[in-house]
Amino acid sequence: MKQFVISGCRVAGASVCALFVLVPALIAADLVRVRPLYRDDRILVSFELTDAFSEEVLASIRSGLPTTFSYEVELRRAIRFWFDRTVAATTLAASVRYDNLTRRYHLSRTQDGRVEASEVVEEEQRVRDAMTMFERLPLFSATPLEANSEYYLRVSARTRPRGNWFVWPWSRATASGSAAFTFIP
Amino acid sequence: MSTTVRQTTPSFRSVAPAGPVRPPFRDNPRLILAGITLLLAALIAMVVLADRSASLSPEFLSEAVLYALTAADLTMLVALVFVLARNVIKLIVERRRGLPFARFRAKLVAAMLALTLIPAVLVLLVGSELLRNSADRWFSAPVDEVLTSANQIASDYYFDRQVAVSDDAARIAGALASVDLMADDVGPVRDLITPEVIAGRVEMVQVYRVAGGPGAARPEVVPIVDLAAPSLPQTHSPASADRLAARALADGTGARAVEPLAGGGDLVRAATAIRRSTDGPIVGIVVASTHLTGELAARSRRITDAYEAYSQLRVLKRPLQGVYLSFFLMVTLLILVSATWMGVYIAKRIMRPVQLLADGARAIEAGRLDYRIEPETADEFGSLVEAFNSMAGGLAAGQRKLERSQADLRRKNVEVEGRRRYIETILERIATGVVSIGSDGRVSTVNRSAARLLGLAPAVIGLPAEEVFGRADLQPLADVLRGLTARGDQPPREVALERDGREWHLAVTATNLQSDADRGGGQVMVFDDVTPLIRAQRVATWRHVARRLAHEIRNPLTPIQLCAERLRRHFSGAPTATRALTDECTGTIVEEVESLKALVDEFSQFARMPAPRTVPVDLNALLNDALRLYDGLFNEIRLDRAFAALLPPVRVDPEQIRRVVINLVDNAVEVLRGSAGVDASRHDHPGRVVIATEHDAAEGVARFTVADNGPGISAADRDKLFMPYYSTKQRGSGLGLAIVRRIVIEHGGNIEVGKNGERGTRFTVELPCRS
Repeated sequence: MKQFVISGCRVAGASVCALFVLVPALIAADLVRVRPLYRDDRILVSFELTDAFSEEVLASIRSGLPTTFSYEVELRRAIRFWFDRTVAATTLAASVRYDNLTRRYHLSRTQDGRVEASEVVEEEQRVRDAMTMFERLPLFSATPLEANSEYYLRVSARTRPRGNWFVWPWSRATASGSAAFTFIP
Repeated sequence: MSTTVRQTTPSFRSVAPAGPVRPPFRDNPRLILAGITLLLAALIAMVVLADRSASLSPEFLSEAVLYALTAADLTMLVALVFVLARNVIKLIVERRRGLPFARFRAKLVAAMLALTLIPAVLVLLVGSELLRNSADRWFSAPVDEVLTSANQIASDYYFDRQVAVSDDAARIAGALASVDLMADDVGPVRDLITPEVIAGRVEMVQVYRVAGGPGAARPEVVPIVDLAAPSLPQTHSPASADRLAARALADGTGARAVEPLAGGGDLVRAATAIRRSTDGPIVGIVVASTHLTGELAARSRRITDAYEAYSQLRVLKRPLQGVYLSFFLMVTLLILVSATWMGVYIAKRIMRPVQLLADGARAIEAGRLDYRIEPETADEFGSLVEAFNSMAGGLAAGQRKLERSQADLRRKNVEVEGRRRYIETILERIATGVVSIGSDGRVSTVNRSAARLLGLAPAVIGLPAEEVFGRADLQPLADVLRGLTARGDQPPREVALERDGREWHLAVTATNLQSDADRGGGQVMVFDDVTPLIRAQRVATWRHVARRLAHEIRNPLTPIQLCAERLRRHFSGAPTATRALTDECTGTIVEEVESLKALVDEFSQFARMPAPRTVPVDLNALLNDALRLYDGLFNEIRLDRAFAALLPPVRVDPEQIRRVVINLVDNAVEVLRGSAGVDASRHDHPGRVVIATEHDAAEGVARFTVADNGPGISAADRDKLFMPYYSTKQRGSGLGLAIVRRIVIEHGGNIEVGKNGERGTRFTVELPCRS
């Protein structure tokens, strides 16, 4: 009887752990396409978030709420039998605020909190592109990279505001993607 | 309330370390007050926040507030689980250890939790449901339609104005296509656009030429004409028009913008490229602007703001509901945590002093009466602790008093015991016999002398006195006891006991013992052996008689003898018959006178016996020396020696003791020779005299016995044997044994005669010795 209780507790514990691990992993499906490129001693990063403009996001934008897609871009090196090492990381954010009176979108992009660009557009497609597509951003220096070594870029995307009942402090990214590459100078 | 243990004996419990000790949170009223204040402040802040939530940014509510509330909920949930789990684990552990009050705390916590759980959860459920229903009603269809339509109208109006301005800009651009914008003279351009401004179709027109010429690598726009109506507020920004022109140049088409003005209202701008032909290059940019007055713009903005606020609320409906639900959940968890903590706290508040009191009671039970509990509060538990300490103090004082009494009692007991031993020793050592009889009629004390004199064994102690003194030889003492019981204390009296054929003379004093309760306290009987005294008195009497006899008889004997001899001489010449008669008579007279003289000599000798001159003597050697005289004298009689080894020396007059031995052996031999029952020829019953010695260390005497297996002496004759002029022999003066007794008595000893087992007589002589 005691063993049964213990094994029941173990099963429950394992289920809870699985819930904590698997659910965020499923949520953070591979919806970001990442493409690395080495040029002029810089790692140029291109990525695109697909299927980001759900009805919920569109409703948020059209309500005039400042809506932000933030991307955590990490350059990491895989280490066998241990945690991967983060070589460099940066955070990009694309925000939009829709003015329902003038029917214009105010776009802005930041990197690590620093405003990189802002514009006002009228076309929704331009908003989509500006929020989800990033082309050849020279985010990282290639100096610390070792030649002929395996690295990968991981991009985790989050959206704000959230439409959940509660905020889970340990929630992972809404979407993520990665791309591995061998650094050949 | 907090209570600590104070002790008065350092060895009882280790002393607390020096220095101030910070009290735990539960015992610190200031911290508790601060905690309660903080909690109240948080609740008030939440109420205020909930009240002002409408004016706060929905995003702020859905992000920051929801984060904070979720974190608070999780923290409280963890705290609740922790407190409950800790309580359950402690309950299990304490029950396994058998600690008291474990169930009490669990019951109290469960009761507090049960009291608060149901109402708190009910409030949570009802509140959540109300909130959900209210939120659903916020977004009803009519409101949605009105707000959407209003916003559509406002935005359509703005859009129409933008389209109109764009049309104006396109028309002016078409008109300027034929004007040389590169010329220095801008008069034609101004002339062309001035009517547009004056007519009020547009309120401001700005014309730019493309610097670097059409098709340049990096074309730029350069303002050449800026014409505005006087009614246009001057707060507009020229840079805005420049950026719009640049954007139109970059796009190659048109561009529009709405610029809010500082003084109110918006400035609707539209930029259009100026081309000389439809497919020709851009030579210039015209920016036309029209002013939307402040009132109109403000109303439109308010409509849009209301619509956006409404739309944002709908978008953030779930997070906002989450905020309020989290708030409800937090309050519920706060109540549950508080109830649980309060249960634990109250249980501790109750259990701690009770536990300390229980520990104190156990310590008191274990005899540690210096155990004290220091009260720190003045409530009921403090009074209880004070009462406990008072009780412990009383017990300690009582114990100290008791210990002093016990010490006094022990000291008195020691004194009494010493006195008892002293008296007991005296009783054991004195020659006076003492017998005490308890109130129950049983013998309680028999000292050694009494046992010896009365022939009692130590086992008689505890037996009824009637049974002990019912023995035939102790009947006189039984009579004394009966007389004591019947008539009270008796004067000292002399009783004679006959035991083992010997007569004992005892001076007896019997007394009733009185107890405090005036009940029968028993009797005590004290007796002294006066037999030697009586014997000595008899000997002295006989010595006096012998001296008188010797004196009275010896004096006439000589004249009688002389007269008889004179008669014999006188009748020596008488006839034969007369002479014969005379000779016969005088011869008889002389012979009897001689016999009387011999008798008188013996009496005289008995009366004038010298005092013994004692020296240390080996008794065995002395006896051997005396018995050597008999070696080879008798064939039919055996003289056996049974001497004890290591006999201590005795201080005696050797000649007198030798005389005693010879007298006793002579008597034995004479008895054996005259005994018809003893026949030397019979091997089964030869004549035998055994001379034995022994040392009685307890009595401090050396004893020798002369025992024969002759016919023995009757009991009636035994005591008379030692009287002068008493003899069982046909011939003899009867003074031999009297002299023997006198010698022994003058040596401080004693002589007894008794039966020698089944047959014969045994004389026992005791002489004092120092071992």
